[in-house]
Amino acid sequence: MSILPFPSFFDDVKEKGFRKAIFEGINEVVERATAGMNVQDIREALRGEAPSRKPNPRLQPHADGFWLHMRPSYFHKSVTGIYPEFRLGWLSTYFVVFETITGIFLMVWYTPSPEVAYANMLNIMSGVPLGQFIRDLHRIGAEAMVLIVTLHMLRAFFTASYKKPRQFTWFSGVILLLMTLLLSFSGYLLPWDQLALWAVTIGASMIEAAPPEVVGTNLNLLLRGGPEIGANGLLRFYLLHVLLVPALLFVFTGVHYYKVVVHGHSLPPAQENIGEDTAKRVPLDKRVYFIPDILTSEVMWIGVTTLILVILVTWFFHAPLESHADPQVTPLGTTAPWYFLWIQGALKLGDKVFWGIIFPTIAFGFLMLMPYLDTTPSRRWAHRRTAMTVGFLMISATTVLSYMGLSEFGVKNSADSEILHELNMPPAHNHMGKLLPVPYDQLVVGMYTTRQLEAEEGQESPVVAAFNQEIQENGRGALLLNELTGADYLAINSLNFTTLPADATDLHKALEFFEHELQNRADELRNAWGGIIITEQQNGLKRLDSFIVWEEVAIENGKVVYGMDGQPVPVLDDNGQPVLRVNADHIFIHQDSQYFAAPGS
Amino acid sequence: MLQRLIFERIEQRVLVGTIAFLASMALVGWLAINEGGRMASFEVQYTARSIERGAALFAVNCSECHGPNGLGGAGVAPALNSPHLFGHDYLAVYDRELITLEQERNNPATTAERVTEIDARMQELQNERQNVINQINTVVEAKPGGYDPENPSRLDDLAWAGSLRAFVLTTLIHGRPVSANYWPRQMSAWSQTAGGPLRMDQLEDLTTYILNWDRGDNWTLDDLAAVNQFPIKPVDPSTVVASDVQVIVPGLTDANANPEQLDYAAIDAELANYTGDPQNGQTLYNGALGCAGCHLNAAVAPVTEGTWTRVQELRLQDPANAGLTGEQYLEHSILHPNEYLAPGAPTGGSYPGGVMTPNFASRLSYQDLADLVAYLKTQDQPLP
Repeated sequence: MSILPFPSFFDDVKEKGFRKAIFEGINEVVERATAGMNVQDIREALRGEAPSRKPNPRLQPHADGFWLHMRPSYFHKSVTGIYPEFRLGWLSTYFVVFETITGIFLMVWYTPSPEVAYANMLNIMSGVPLGQFIRDLHRIGAEAMVLIVTLHMLRAFFTASYKKPRQFTWFSGVILLLMTLLLSFSGYLLPWDQLALWAVTIGASMIEAAPPEVVGTNLNLLLRGGPEIGANGLLRFYLLHVLLVPALLFVFTGVHYYKVVVHGHSLPPAQENIGEDTAKRVPLDKRVYFIPDILTSEVMWIGVTTLILVILVTWFFHAPLESHADPQVTPLGTTAPWYFLWIQGALKLGDKVFWGIIFPTIAFGFLMLMPYLDTTPSRRWAHRRTAMTVGFLMISATTVLSYMGLSEFGVKNSADSEILHELNMPPAHNHMGKLLPVPYDQLVVGMYTTRQLEAEEGQESPVVAAFNQEIQENGRGALLLNELTGADYLAINSLNFTTLPADATDLHKALEFFEHELQNRADELRNAWGGIIITEQQNGLKRLDSFIVWEEVAIENGKVVYGMDGQPVPVLDDNGQPVLRVNADHIFIHQDSQYFAAPGS
Repeated sequence: MLQRLIFERIEQRVLVGTIAFLASMALVGWLAINEGGRMASFEVQYTARSIERGAALFAVNCSECHGPNGLGGAGVAPALNSPHLFGHDYLAVYDRELITLEQERNNPATTAERVTEIDARMQELQNERQNVINQINTVVEAKPGGYDPENPSRLDDLAWAGSLRAFVLTTLIHGRPVSANYWPRQMSAWSQTAGGPLRMDQLEDLTTYILNWDRGDNWTLDDLAAVNQFPIKPVDPSTVVASDVQVIVPGLTDANANPEQLDYAAIDAELANYTGDPQNGQTLYNGALGCAGCHLNAAVAPVTEGTWTRVQELRLQDPANAGLTGEQYLEHSILHPNEYLAPGAPTGGSYPGGVMTPNFASRLSYQDLADLVAYLKTQDQPLP
């Protein structure tokens, strides 16, 4: 008799002995937890043996359990290899889960407010153990997800898997692609750095162009929370990023996968004809059961993919963090995230409303409707010439437009600003000014000029001495000195250029780059010379002033005007003398600031 | 091959998965072990870049008044790159030893022999200490604002109870409205929260940069000598006079001064009895009166350099000034500047009136005025 009013584990122990009772207890718990498989069943499955009892316990978790209720209990053998799916759909789902987990960790340390968001980033990087690691994982996961989802779509296109009966699967897939882009884009703003602010400003300004004007203006206000992106805008992007878009994404992931299961995975084109639905008709000899084969494969891929991501963020990738967002300062060469470059490129073609709104809408609308438009009855490439042509045209157009979206393309700044920018720009887009990574001990206080590089080997000193003489006599030195001490508050009294220290090889390279650029743009920058002045600002802090002095030439519509002799036309003052121009910029370099070229750049 | 190995055999899949999982864990473990170092190095790097950004902000926003190297502008704003701000005590090394010796001397157990020894050492220290004070006084003698080696800390002068960082940051946030009483311009509020142009993180960067001037125990007398301007302790502006002798016309203030109160003929006649000392004039010009503060920047006022040449060659050629000598022109334009606005402002036309105070008749004695004119007559550099 039990001491309790119901039979308990103690009764079992009394009845069967301790050992047996324990084993049976464990077995029962395992069977309940797996919704049907006991320890012996699991052991057999993992050994690759056939199930030893009937009904097949490996089908039970699909029938009775929640976690596997949507997974098919077997797959067709032809879709379990690398081809035709390349695991792309599975990988997309992996990234949804991966981004959710890393994102929740980041949420713990983040407040969506312009006052503290950037400080939160710094804290994640410097005060949270493994904070940078998680941030890097989240960022690389986001970029990878965009890539993988796009590749998944391309794969479905090439194998013509979107055709009947899977049209709606494709349709929901395009919605998931849009969600992925939107998620990635809304997350872009959250660090509240310059990169974020300006990429999102470009994106949001496209929404402003939506016709008619009253719609565009109000949509823009709704998204940004004001005329400029500020506290309201940041909060809205945050809520989009962590709440609305993920919620929709989960729902549509469910819809998409449900459709995949209902129609079965699409077989390679040669094995399945249009209109055939393989799900319920997999011959017995082609069945690969989920437990154990697919399950172990998926768990293996979770391990392998995670390892790859961890390796990438350990050695090869760090999420960028630029300087604090500043609506007053537009960085030169601002671009959208790479997956939106094609829209930015399209915008350079002309009308903002057409290229910024109507064109992308048509593009995505066409993608969604494609399975309903392309109803040709074959999946073979030979029979899909029109579709393949359109597909390749779209891929080519996206590539060309993306290239056009780069700031290198079509955006004209004056040559002097561009050259100084190349020398001094703060790190952005895996790119930084040539002067930043010069080792601190090479920044020897002094004044150096690009003229030195025009000298023949060994003749540097006399050339620089002659240069000092020359700029003193023609007054250009005084002009430069005035600019540097007046507008730029540089604390020097006179100019005296010297040759570079022999061991300052990196500084030499930067100066060579400077000279090279001046030569490249010699038409715009007539008789130009440049230089770098290094002064000590504080203990451990140097100031680097770089400047260009040139003779102005006539420029119309951003292009140099050439005279009859084929030479650029100089601009002359009242006395017939060339008009002189100076442009200067400066940066400060601290000995501990550790600017390294980004990996891979 | 790969397909057969990994996809078709379950034990291979289990093996690969397990190895991948363990490898990930090992990598994360390795990262975790190094995480402390990485975080510390990020902190160092970030502080360094904060200093860089602060330096860039300082160059644009602060160097006009505080000087490009933070050494202060004579008559405009105090030095920040100065031992005074950081409270460096040049005498501390002597004071510490003196106190220790004093305590030992007062201890009844100290032998008479030792007392004699201590007295000698203390005398020696006192001499050295006095020597340093003398050196400092020589260095700072001509410096405006003044520096007292016995009270070397700005924060102590102001009875500021918080940290230096808080002092600098608070000053940046709210500016120094009261400073208009003893500098030509007040310091404006720089924080967006106080209606200024800069964000808090930028002010933090600026503060980090300014505090990076601290040399700790390594401040030298040369650093003191480099300072252009020390802070001025607050005084009632109406009591600021060049010297305590009789002023020309007492009782004028900015508000009530007008040219009718000045009898130029009588003043000119009286002034003829005085001989100006350019040296003293220069001290007044750069120091107590703060003239140099505005007259060093052509955007604000005609620059000091070449004043006499411009008076002779340009201003006296103006029919409005007919009948004046150069000295008289200078005297009159000091006493009532709004009547003698000089042309040549970079914005076009004359410099604006109402910037220079019209109450100098109540702030200068005849001797002071003569000294100022004498100093300005030395500014005879040729026109550019």
